[in-house]
Amino acid sequence: MQILSSILGYAADEPFDSALHDLSHSGKVEYLTISADDTSRRRMRAMTDKGTECVIVLNRDQQLSDGAVLSISDNGAIVVRLSQQKWLSLEAQNHAAALEVGYFIGNLHWKVEFEGERLKVALQGPLQTYLDRLELLIETGKIRALTEND
Amino acid sequence: MNDKDLRTQTTSGSQKSAARVGIGGPVGSGKTALIECLIPDLVSRGIEVAVVTNDLVTKEDAKRLQNSGLISPDRVLPVEAGACPHTIIREDPSLNIAAADNLNASFPELDVIFIESGGDNLASTFSLDLVDYWMFVIDTGAGDDIPRKKGPGIIRSDLLVVNKIDIGPYVGANVDLIKQEAVEVRNHRPTLLTDCKRKIGIDALVDQLIQDVLFTDV
Ligand SMILES: Nc1nc2c(ncn2[C@@H]2O[C@H](COP(=O)(O)OP(=O)(O)O)[C@@H](O)[C@H]2O)c(=O)[nH]1
Ligand SMILES: [Mg+2]
Repeated sequence: MQILSSILGYAADEPFDSALHDLSHSGKVEYLTISADDTSRRRMRAMTDKGTECVIVLNRDQQLSDGAVLSISDNGAIVVRLSQQKWLSLEAQNHAAALEVGYFIGNLHWKVEFEGERLKVALQGPLQTYLDRLELLIETGKIRALTEND
Repeated sequence: MNDKDLRTQTTSGSQKSAARVGIGGPVGSGKTALIECLIPDLVSRGIEVAVVTNDLVTKEDAKRLQNSGLISPDRVLPVEAGACPHTIIREDPSLNIAAADNLNASFPELDVIFIESGGDNLASTFSLDLVDYWMFVIDTGAGDDIPRKKGPGIIRSDLLVVNKIDIGPYVGANVDLIKQEAVEVRNHRPTLLTDCKRKIGIDALVDQLIQDVLFTDV
């Protein structure tokens, strides 16, 4: 069990960049994959890609991000890797529908981004849960849900 | 590579900061009762506890805990929510953060600070700026179709507690069904059953907290 209690620095910065490069030659760099959601967490259990069990306990003023180095020595290093955020994109049929879906989603406090004519909802759980909530708007044709490939 | 060079890069600040655990759920589901059950169990395991309560306009819950004899009264801090109890645990948790910081400064030995929400509907969630982990408390008295309503509190909480399993039979709520459906809608993330009157399920709840967020075992 590794206890990781602070962010020592970032993989792209020196002296970490060179040190990680050296360690990687002997396969001693381990990655902890963390979801975008979990970057706000300061305490959690996690397992590296090489199976090392970790407990993260950060101070309240620190926040996980991609490339954060949580442990490093001659014996190895542990670096955070962010998994990609998944989105559900929505298109409204007209202005009235856009107002309605905006009001609805605002009420649910979903995390969104605006992309031109599209409203992108950050998925913080299974896609189906979101589609279920939007069922009425989708069924009545007021909005269209697009998958990542559309 | 020189280990020492790398270590001098570390930001210091090794001062212990207590885990912050949110407790949300509808009014009357048993949030304060649960805290009253948790405190003695935690204390018996050598875990140091404090509580922030959020009442609407009074300090009712704070006073109840302060007078309970379970915890030193100065380890309970009330924050008044005003009109909207969910605002101060999500959109603007600054009052609660200040209260927790206060407790942490006054009692550096703390392992955990519970933050009890003033009670809200099934849509309330905690900001992770405020807490490290949050549980959502529902009770069987509200009927066995609650998990199917899929409120954000039920789906997204780190831990769902179904309380008052003792009264399920009296209100025609099937406790096993609630549990089964909760586990499904939550994608198998933890759901626990409790009865605060007979102190059932409290040990398991503490074990879960230690495993997920307190880490007092490592
Ligand atoms: N029968 C039964 N009553 C409970 C249980 N837990 C809490 N209560 C009662 O439910 C009422 C509301 O509890 P309280 O803790 O104040 O709820 P809160 O508003 O969520 O903090 C009180 O009268 C409690 O005594 C339980 O497990 N079983
Ligand atoms: Mg209460």
